[in-house]
Amino acid sequence: MTRLSLTRRQSLAVIGGATATIAMPSIARAQAVEISVHYSMPAIFKEAQDAVMEAFVRKHPEVKATYVNPTPTYEDGAQLLLRNAATNSMPDISFQGLNRLRMFAERGIAQDLAPLLAREGDPAKLGYSRSLLGLGFHAKMQCGLAFATSNPISYYNMDLLKKAGITDAAFPASWDKVIENAKRIKALGDGNDGMFFRWPGDDWMFSALLYGHGGRMLNEAETDVAFNSAEGLAALKLFDRMVKEGGMPNYAGTADLQAFAAGKLGQMFRTTAQVRSISNSVGSNFQLQTSLMPVIDPVKGRLPTGGAGGMITSKDPRKQEAAWTFLKFATSAEGTTLMTKNTGYVPCNQIAIDDPSYLADFYKQNPLFQAATRQVSLMVPWYAFPGQNSVRVTQVMVDNLARIAEQKATPEQVLADMATEVRKLIPRQG
Amino acid sequence: MRADKQTLFKDMPRLAVLGCAAILMLVPYVWMIAVSVKPPDEVFRASLTLLPERWALVENYGKVLRTIPVATFVMNGLIVCMGILFFQMLFAIPAAYALAKLQFRGRELLFGFVMLGLLIPYQTTALPLYLGFHQAGLLNSYTALIAPFTCSVFAIFLFRQFFKALPDDLIAAARIDGMGEFSIVWRVVLPNALPAATAFAIFSVVAHWNDLFWPLIVIQKGDLYTPAMGILAFRAVESGDDYGALMAAATLVAAPLVIAFLFAQRRFIEGVTMTGLKG
Amino acid sequence: MSDAVTTAPAGYAPHIQKRSATLSMDTVAAWVLTLPAILAYLLMVLLPLLGVLALAFTDYEFGARSFRWVGLDNFADMPKDRTFMASIRNTVVYCFFVVPLSIGLALLLAILIEAGARGRAFFRAVFFLPVVSLTVAMATAWQYLLHPSIGPVNAVLRALGLGAPNWLGSSDWVMVSLGIIGVWENVGFNLVLFLAGLTAIPRDLYAAAEVDGAKSAWSRFTLVTWPLLGPTLLFVMIITMTRSVRVFDTVQTLTQGGPNSASEVLLRTIYQEGFHYFKFGYSAAITLVFLAIVLAIMLVQTRLIDSKVHYG
Repeated sequence: MTRLSLTRRQSLAVIGGATATIAMPSIARAQAVEISVHYSMPAIFKEAQDAVMEAFVRKHPEVKATYVNPTPTYEDGAQLLLRNAATNSMPDISFQGLNRLRMFAERGIAQDLAPLLAREGDPAKLGYSRSLLGLGFHAKMQCGLAFATSNPISYYNMDLLKKAGITDAAFPASWDKVIENAKRIKALGDGNDGMFFRWPGDDWMFSALLYGHGGRMLNEAETDVAFNSAEGLAALKLFDRMVKEGGMPNYAGTADLQAFAAGKLGQMFRTTAQVRSISNSVGSNFQLQTSLMPVIDPVKGRLPTGGAGGMITSKDPRKQEAAWTFLKFATSAEGTTLMTKNTGYVPCNQIAIDDPSYLADFYKQNPLFQAATRQVSLMVPWYAFPGQNSVRVTQVMVDNLARIAEQKATPEQVLADMATEVRKLIPRQG
Repeated sequence: MRADKQTLFKDMPRLAVLGCAAILMLVPYVWMIAVSVKPPDEVFRASLTLLPERWALVENYGKVLRTIPVATFVMNGLIVCMGILFFQMLFAIPAAYALAKLQFRGRELLFGFVMLGLLIPYQTTALPLYLGFHQAGLLNSYTALIAPFTCSVFAIFLFRQFFKALPDDLIAAARIDGMGEFSIVWRVVLPNALPAATAFAIFSVVAHWNDLFWPLIVIQKGDLYTPAMGILAFRAVESGDDYGALMAAATLVAAPLVIAFLFAQRRFIEGVTMTGLKG
Repeated sequence: MSDAVTTAPAGYAPHIQKRSATLSMDTVAAWVLTLPAILAYLLMVLLPLLGVLALAFTDYEFGARSFRWVGLDNFADMPKDRTFMASIRNTVVYCFFVVPLSIGLALLLAILIEAGARGRAFFRAVFFLPVVSLTVAMATAWQYLLHPSIGPVNAVLRALGLGAPNWLGSSDWVMVSLGIIGVWENVGFNLVLFLAGLTAIPRDLYAAAEVDGAKSAWSRFTLVTWPLLGPTLLFVMIITMTRSVRVFDTVQTLTQGGPNSASEVLLRTIYQEGFHYFKFGYSAAITLVFLAIVLAIMLVQTRLIDSKVHYG
């Protein structure tokens, strides 16, 4: 009995406390629309979100936005949204991984932002370029706006490169050069490895190679696979060369990050999202540099975009308005500047990218973050497969890449198998 | 009765074996504590160095204490774990006694369900429970954190084993003295199974102190999180974990448990030596 | 005895009545005692489980607004699912590795600790520590320790001139590594249980055995410890088995089932299908199969061993 009343009292105290944190003039409070906001990965985004919220509150007192507890990973975030969809208690705004927006659009959870956007006039004036909007355009609707984006970059241990006699002033401009460097570093022995291209986890890096060659995942109509093309084969063959000639070790999990921090890995290819934590773990152990991904096809080559996008779930018009105000602010030049300064992700507003008054200083002080911004023109959406098996397709790709990494299958075999398996998993239309 | 204290020389082989085993068991644990006082650039090195070149104890632990409300989480952990343990003992001990010592129809069936319960992974039942708690309006509450775990089949199984080993005449004697079944459970049977009770208490508290999965589902607002949640503020697979702070948080979360165990251990020994039964 | 019953003088009759009354009172008492547990079990375990299992016959997806009944389709898909078949194989291998090793080691350590008075409290605490720590933290520790190039384990192996395997990255070694970690996790847990069992053995039995001529430690073990440890041993075996068959945390954190399903285990497949792929119907079907198989094994084992173990 006492336990129950404690719970109620406790809950009231918590709610009261949360409400009291945002001080506002009493008039505005009476008319304020309340919305709840959800995001994932507090370890990365908490400071950024808090900064955005602080600035938002000052500018828009008519909206009272509160955060629900952030979820640890994008996956937990997706699960939260689906669970709450079943109980009609979804947060009004949710920041999800960019490759999940499509799934929420297909299930009717993400609301179409196109009408709201249309009211604002020319989106380019607000800083939403076509490619930026494209990152959140899936299933024939604008299901979200990109909030924080990342692309794959290269990390170099300059000391180790020097030790292997690699003195090129410019960074390796091609994969051939990278593999050659890797051979020389590995020849140093003493547990040193030349390169690692992060393929475990999801299909992001495979798409980097595929898009780099100018290939595509599925055909335009999304009825059949298109990655079993010459570009796809070339991508897998390159991957195979990395293992065979470049001596790429078969690392699991974050073993490559650990080896790199310990100074035993010369060249690493990973998302720019990790610049901050990598430079922290490297410290002054050796000289760290970042650069662009080696270019494969200078004309057709593209890179996949990772990161988070904000979507609106609320169907209530008043709440939608309020949510739109918040989302617009978070992705505005001001909002994205706050985000970039606190996370190091690539800014999602063209104005913030072009106008030096926003981030020029930041990049001067943090040169390692610059590599990603120079690839912005190459960014295409991280492909989200259509249908109910979209997540499973990702796993199929990772599993097949593992076969090449362990040298248990040839690129031709893997490509054929991947095509067969993925074909079974995409919805057949007509 | 204490075992004879052998001379140190005779005891050496035993101590040596135990010592080696102890070192092997502790390596990951020691590494965790070592990392919690290291700055990020010293965490991963090619050589295994335990002591940091630059002490980051204040840095890491300070960061943890600043970022998460450690005291609140520990408080919640205490309330939730003690609450769960209380109900688990309250429900399981009489049930275990009945299954062990009483003859009645349906006993085999009930025991079968107990065995089934041991196998059910609790992730399986999470979704329906979540929906149920939502309907009852009980999300974000201590009730949601405590209720699902009140029936512990592990406890029923454990206590049944121990109770079965108790001599029947002990209970017969109590019955002749006019004690009802209920009193027999709490006044006769339980005191003779104190080692089992302490062991179970240890497991229950540890399991629920470290539980991440369920609190994540039912607590969406406020600070009702259990201690294990504190870790998550430092874990970000996409951008790389902050290892120093992560290990510092893990150490802080484990510390109360270790202290509780040391305390319980002493009581455990006292409890056994004081029961006249074994004499 | 029967004479006393048939030719009972008046005074005995109430006694007989009391005995049969006691029997049914036993039943009543038993049900009253077990009622709270039964209620909690029904509400929190059985009903949700039945709800989920019903989904095994549907194509329900997490977050979908409706679903269809598909009968046995989900079950038909299972043998064709490469990942599912790999899970079964890997879970079996893992159990066979972890269960005997962790029980044997824990028993040995428990006996060694109790054998002497010196350092008992210290060793108890030391071996208990791994049980207390969070999987997330321990997983990171193991990842580093087993790192193929910078990890200390391989450094030691190289120094000894032995090969340095790729513990967590190679599909040939990954189950061995997970097995070693599993033994490490379970030894501490089982140790505490064995210590509880050992301390429950009356000391004077050892004294009596010695008087009767059992001089060596081995004969004391076989005559006194082993038989009286019976119930505890059975318990530890069942518990270790159920924990091993439900292995999840280490696999999820360290290898995510890779490389290429080489370390997929049943519970992870169930979780992956339901919470990652959102195929709740299929996940429920796998759960049903999983429970059926393991429950059958468990009941057979308990019946076989329970009858062999003597009590008090």
